[in-house]
Amino acid sequence: MTLSRRLGLAFIGVLLASILLFMYIESGAQQAASHIESRDLIRVLKQQDAVWDNEVLKARVALSHNYDPLVSPLHEMTRLWQRLDVIESEPGRHAPSLWDTQRDEYLKAVKEKTRLVEQFKSHNAVLRNSLAFLPTAEDDIQGQFARLSDADRLQLQNVAIDTYDLLLSSLEFAQVTTEDQAAEILLGLNRLEVNRDRLPDGLQGSIDILRRHIALILREQPKVNELLQGIEAIPLAARLDTITNLLDTDQEQAAAKHQRNHIFLLLFATFLVLILIWLAIRLIRSFAEIKRVNSALQTANDELEQRVEERTRQLKDTQSELMDTARQAGMAEIATNVLHNVGNVLNSVNISADLVSRKLRSSKAQGLGKAMNLINEHSHDLGHFLTEDEKGKLLPGYLNQLVEAIAVEQQGLTDELAQLSKSVDHIKDIVSTQQSYAGANTLMEPLVVSELLEDALRMNSGALTRHHVTVIKEYGEVPRIMGDKHRLLLILINLISNAKYAMAGVSNHARNMTLKATVVDEELQISVKDEGEGIPEENMTRIFAHGFTTRKDGHGFGLHSCALAAIEMNGHLTVHSDGPGTGATFVLQLPLKLAEGEP
Amino acid sequence: MASHGLILALGLLVGLSTAAHAEPLDEPLKPLPTVPNLDPKRVQLGQRLFNDPRLSVNNTLSCASCHRLDKGGADDKAFSLGFDGKPVEVNTPTVFNASLNFHQFWDGRVDSLEEQVHMVVISPTEMGSTWETVVKRIADDPDYAKAFSNAYPDGVNEPNIRNALADYERTLLTPNSRFDQYLLGNTDILTPREKFGYQRFKEYGCIACHQGVNIGGNMFQKFGVMGDYIADRGNPTRADEGRFNVTGDEADRQVFKVPSLRNVARTAPYFHKGSAPTLEKAVEVMFKYQLGREPQKNDTELIVEFLKTLTGEWEGKPL
Repeated sequence: MTLSRRLGLAFIGVLLASILLFMYIESGAQQAASHIESRDLIRVLKQQDAVWDNEVLKARVALSHNYDPLVSPLHEMTRLWQRLDVIESEPGRHAPSLWDTQRDEYLKAVKEKTRLVEQFKSHNAVLRNSLAFLPTAEDDIQGQFARLSDADRLQLQNVAIDTYDLLLSSLEFAQVTTEDQAAEILLGLNRLEVNRDRLPDGLQGSIDILRRHIALILREQPKVNELLQGIEAIPLAARLDTITNLLDTDQEQAAAKHQRNHIFLLLFATFLVLILIWLAIRLIRSFAEIKRVNSALQTANDELEQRVEERTRQLKDTQSELMDTARQAGMAEIATNVLHNVGNVLNSVNISADLVSRKLRSSKAQGLGKAMNLINEHSHDLGHFLTEDEKGKLLPGYLNQLVEAIAVEQQGLTDELAQLSKSVDHIKDIVSTQQSYAGANTLMEPLVVSELLEDALRMNSGALTRHHVTVIKEYGEVPRIMGDKHRLLLILINLISNAKYAMAGVSNHARNMTLKATVVDEELQISVKDEGEGIPEENMTRIFAHGFTTRKDGHGFGLHSCALAAIEMNGHLTVHSDGPGTGATFVLQLPLKLAEGEP
Repeated sequence: MASHGLILALGLLVGLSTAAHAEPLDEPLKPLPTVPNLDPKRVQLGQRLFNDPRLSVNNTLSCASCHRLDKGGADDKAFSLGFDGKPVEVNTPTVFNASLNFHQFWDGRVDSLEEQVHMVVISPTEMGSTWETVVKRIADDPDYAKAFSNAYPDGVNEPNIRNALADYERTLLTPNSRFDQYLLGNTDILTPREKFGYQRFKEYGCIACHQGVNIGGNMFQKFGVMGDYIADRGNPTRADEGRFNVTGDEADRQVFKVPSLRNVARTAPYFHKGSAPTLEKAVEVMFKYQLGREPQKNDTELIVEFLKTLTGEWEGKPL
């Protein structure tokens, strides 16, 4: 997946999440809850307003003399309004300035109503007081009248009636406040003013008090009525209704918006569900695809495995064929090796046999036959013959000489046959060694190096003699060692044979071959040095390679097998030559392994 | 029969309960409410502030300097002395039960104790300070700072100082006056003369203005309904215009908040200028200028005796 695609997906994810969040916030039911609370507050506000009005009226009709109830509704309303204001002043609830306008209207109305109620309280209190006092004042005046003398009383009858009328008018005025009534009371007051001077002192004071109270009623009653009308005219309830309408309208809008948001949310949810379904389908498809690809892969894998197996089998076959071929080649090589070595030894055998047969041909034993013939001719007079005859007399001496000669002959033959038998033994060794070659068995046995060298020389003795090679022996102090006799012999025979061949073309000086055996640094060194043709520089590295030879009839096997044998004995075979014509020195180096009992 | 028995039993029960607790009287005067349940940390702070002269600009006056709780919550002088040693314009009203007044000050220019505190602190004749100074002084006091941050989430500031003082004043109620006990049903607590006094109080119409839970303090009234008291007294000042100074309404000239009569026997001198040195004198003025009545012989005395029953208790002791 590319980076841009990932970013795109992340963007879509964030977008969907933010839409969801936005819709969630938009669809909050808070508005509805606070609307209910607001409606409730307004309802209680209206209730309190009604209580307030009610208390005003109660005070107006003197049902209540306690003005506390005219104060507490206002406190309650202030408290309620503060709560309502907090809710409704929240931004976003109403169109800007709409709420502020309504609030200002309401507060103005409340302030005005409070002002009027306060004034009403003041005026109503004194008015009620005076009205309540009127009957007492009247009683007081009437009582004073009653205490007057009959003559005075008769004289002041009109005043008493006027006062009474005024009192009644005033009480009536308290109920029905009209201009006419006011005028009548004013008239009555003036009349009382006029009458006052005719009254005795005691009554004058009472009348004055009454007059002042009626004047107060006349002044305060219209004022109180006016205030009541003013209070009534304050559209506080109407304001609250307007606010309710505003709240309702806004709530309806909010509800409509809410519903719209719900529908949007529903649509969005459907959209999300569809996306989910689509994704699920995609996922299922992906799974199917993955499954299909997996099975295809499995099949391909199986096929591949089959092919690999087949190839492996073929390879195995090829390998076994190759191995067969190699084995055969190896067998041929071994055969060549064996035959070469056997050939070398056979040379010695041949020489020995030749020698024996030559000796036998020229044997002195034939003389014995001749002597026996002489004896047989003279068998009848043997004694005579032996004692008398010229020839006969020589016979015993001849026989004696013959016996001696035969004995010498016999000794030579015996030696030669022993040599022959040794060579045959060597052939046997070679064959048995080759038979156990596969296991690379090495037969370690105690060896005396000088004897070993002598054996090797003896095996080549015939050829060396024929080629007039002088062997110079420089055997150092070498202890008895543990070694593989056969391999050592193989190497030494080969090296001696090679040295002999190398000096075949030498005619200008003696053909000297030097055999040397020394121990240097825990290492046995046996060297074969010739003074022959030498080795050219270019051949130095190839000389141990398989199949390399400089001889016409050579097969390039001898030195190779020698080098191998040396390595098999944990040693190595090296050559040194200063160049063609300077001879060569082959050195066999082996780790020194002392035989038991050696220091 | 069973139901009759039940009704009888119920009736007896009701009868017993009425006998045990006499019903409160239904009068225009009402007994004091109980002390509101307020945060004691704030109240304690308010008490410290109430007695703290650092509220005045020159550290000379605390609230308690004029509202002396041992003098009925008011001053015994007609005019308390301001921070500058000069007398203020009006007589100091009592702080006791002030929270029950519908407005504060003689002219009722504010309707909450918080605002009342504000007015006094910044008044050039009373404490003469500024809130900046006061808040700084209080905030610089580690004790105050700690107490404030314990009582208020936002620590020392002007509204909190005002609120603490107001809360303390809300606890300054004087319950258990003899008259309250009477209202609560203990009708034997008053002497016959006192009861007569109360009856006169109602008959003459004192009760028209002095009613409710605070026996006044719930309305404005013109001083001089039946005569011009201020002219008769002489030497009128701006303070005599009363509520007019607040509203500018002609109808409000010489209109004052009706003062509470609770503890009135302990808050002499009387009226907004302390022009009445004794209760008798004050009652006489009221008769003449407010009621427009001539009291019968002894009625003033009876009323004064009644007024003396309105003295409540503070910290368990009568004022």
